[in-house]
Amino acid sequence: MNPTTTEATSSKLLEEIRETNLAYLMLAQHMIRQERAESLYRLGISGELADMIESLTPGQLLKIAATNLLMCRLRFDEQMVWNLLTGHSRDRSAGTAHAGILMAGKLAEVV
Amino acid sequence: MNARAKSIVGDAREVERAAELIRLGARLQLLESEINLSRERLLRLYKEIQRKSPPKGMLPFSTDWFTAWQPNIHASLFANIYEYLDKSSDLEQIDVVIRAYRLYLEQVGTSGLEPILSITRAWRLVKFVDAGMMCLAPCTRCSGRFVLHSGDLRNRFVCGLCHMPARAGKTAARKARSELIEA
Repeated sequence: MNPTTTEATSSKLLEEIRETNLAYLMLAQHMIRQERAESLYRLGISGELADMIESLTPGQLLKIAATNLLMCRLRFDEQMVWNLLTGHSRDRSAGTAHAGILMAGKLAEVV
Repeated sequence: MNARAKSIVGDAREVERAAELIRLGARLQLLESEINLSRERLLRLYKEIQRKSPPKGMLPFSTDWFTAWQPNIHASLFANIYEYLDKSSDLEQIDVVIRAYRLYLEQVGTSGLEPILSITRAWRLVKFVDAGMMCLAPCTRCSGRFVLHSGDLRNRFVCGLCHMPARAGKTAARKARSELIEA
């Protein structure tokens, strides 16, 4: 790959990361403001972090979003959860329900 | 009447809470024990929202329902959500029940399952856990946490999803549905 293409790819990638960050942070803030208790469960974050996100101004949101790192990360690292969600088990609904129980339990451990 | 119900704001909050519980299908007994309003007002509210009289008769009071295969999956999902919300928020218990139940309905809906746990049963479960009659214990295979009788042996517990019984989920209703589709 020549240097100009790499540069173009990476600036496009940076743009996409920024947009994803901004969309994620705005959604998180909206959820926290609307229904705090439920939002902690949906986001899987602590109350302190929720307070911080809630207090951010639009300008601050933009600044945080403009980085080369994604601000959100995958929450579940257990292979079992992924296997259940991709649905190789005998009963698809039971599989998703099982994953739901594992995920909700995982969250409860963190808090 | 206590101090909470005397304040107009407090009163409005109780009405709002009761209305939400009724919309979620709560039985009158749940409302009577959790909501600080007279039975008469609760009845009127119930009829206004549900457009019918509340069902009569006793509440299901047995803990056994929660350990049958299918109910256990639903009860465990709800209990895990409830525990998370309970730990992470400082809401009153009944508000945690309401929120956890709404999230349960949502999650069951996205899994394509019928919600077989009613809000009244969900509330009973919370009380059974409070009273130490039931608890959440980890499955030794998947480490997911499931509702169990407190006295049950836990060191070799395997959940109903890791070890599915042969006839699991084959209820009469589902059989009738699939026959209907085939016909």
